[in-house]
Amino acid sequence: MATIIEINKEKALEVKNFEFTYAGVDTPSVKKLSMPVAKHNITALIGPSGCGKTTLLRSFNRMHDLYPNNKYNGEIIFKDRNILTSKEDLIKLRIQIGMIFQKPTAFPMSIFDNVAYGLKLQGIKNRTELSGRVEKALKDAAIWNEVKDRLKHDANGLSGGQQQRLCIARAVAVEPEVLLFDEPTSALDPISTAGIEELIVELRERVSIIIVTHNMQQAARVSDYTGFMYLGELIELGKTEDMFVTPKERLTEEYITGKFG
Amino acid sequence: MSIFIDKLFANTTRFIAFGILLLVAWIFSVLFEHSLESIKAFGFLFITEDKWAPNLEKFGALPAIYGSVISTFLAMILAVPLAIGIAIFLSEIAHAKLKGPIGVSIELLAAIPSVVYGMWGLFYFVPIIRDIFGGVGISMLSAGIVLSVMILPFMAAITRDAMNTTPDILKESAYALGGTKWDVVKDIIIPYAKAGIIGSFILALGRAIGETMAVTFVMGNVHKISTDLTQPATSIPVTLANEFAEADSALYYSSLFELSLLLLVVSFTIISVAKFYFLRRKRVI
Repeated sequence: MATIIEINKEKALEVKNFEFTYAGVDTPSVKKLSMPVAKHNITALIGPSGCGKTTLLRSFNRMHDLYPNNKYNGEIIFKDRNILTSKEDLIKLRIQIGMIFQKPTAFPMSIFDNVAYGLKLQGIKNRTELSGRVEKALKDAAIWNEVKDRLKHDANGLSGGQQQRLCIARAVAVEPEVLLFDEPTSALDPISTAGIEELIVELRERVSIIIVTHNMQQAARVSDYTGFMYLGELIELGKTEDMFVTPKERLTEEYITGKFG
Repeated sequence: MSIFIDKLFANTTRFIAFGILLLVAWIFSVLFEHSLESIKAFGFLFITEDKWAPNLEKFGALPAIYGSVISTFLAMILAVPLAIGIAIFLSEIAHAKLKGPIGVSIELLAAIPSVVYGMWGLFYFVPIIRDIFGGVGISMLSAGIVLSVMILPFMAAITRDAMNTTPDILKESAYALGGTKWDVVKDIIIPYAKAGIIGSFILALGRAIGETMAVTFVMGNVHKISTDLTQPATSIPVTLANEFAEADSALYYSSLFELSLLLLVVSFTIISVAKFYFLRRKRVI
């Protein structure tokens, strides 16, 4: 039986009996999963490949709806409502719950336009407001000094680490309440990785963060809470400092000590 | 022994590859050689003169050039928006079950021989044009429409392929910022696939400008420049198809060769532009 810690702080999200089944598959990829996500904290999801951590992450902003016939069951509570219902406004949901992907995904446009993109989608046209918010987002993402002289240049000219920070700037520009990171450093070198990790920790002040990572050290370095998933189930959720020192579950211990992976 | 076979193979393929270059140069030189008489007789007047009167030994290519340009232009204006629409539908909107059948039928449409389009145009389409727009039906307008129908499937298929190269993760990033399907198509997919899309238009343009059979049926071969699109007209390939058999003087014959030389140069230019500027894909995510 899973060991899931009680969280007495305010919650950003709460998952209740959640199941997810991909189109054309009989068995769910995420099974009967319940977990709280603490507000203004960083929750890391770890586990071996195929354990369902990315599947769970992509359910928080209903990314699975882009492809037909995927099935959700159970509830994910966000701002006192279940976001898995068919009447949920996905556009609004995705503005409130942003996402950063495995690889940098700079759009084929200038650096400025990349960051302004989400704002423009919301109908903000005023140039001064746009440039103010773009500058703030770029500063928040610790990339302002590197790009301030070339905001009009093609974003694809930036390095991988810079592009990933640009993507973070783009995501924070719309001021989401939750940010989902899907293995954000898996395509980056160690120095860029350190930069992104530092940034994620700083962002905790303003947003609640869930990060999926295959790198246990990364989870240990950045997160406040860690959840260990295995074969679609959440085996253990606890404070990160406890999880890596005194895991309650035998499976968790075996995974973090490298007995399987 | 195996080294010998390797060498033999390498040299055979090298010979064949260089053969292609030779063939192009050969065709070009033959056309040029046969055009010489006409080039000497008319010089630049050949392209600026609008009188084509074989009985007076006067040959001006302007009506044919005008017809080629206008009919191709008409075809592009009609086909480009439709092709983009079809491609967007097939790559982003259509349900997976529809994508296959519609995609395949578009590719089949692209495989229909152009003479079939010509006959269909003459017997089915021309009367409709005549009833709606007046005139005799055989006209510049009919040619433009038949051409557009002919290049549409080809353009739509290549445009769809170009759009499909947009990485899913890039599209998802835009959806994750609160983008609608339309936002993603217009801001992400079309800019990302821009080079491929323009390349497909230019290839289609190349096909349309050199197309012979589909337009020969419906254009009329009348060497007259008219701004009225419902009037019969001619184009370079239409003139060639209609008049080679009746070229009875050396100058007439040579002038037709010069027309084909013009067409070759124009087509080469268009395809080269497509190849070197637009079909070079560079972005990889």
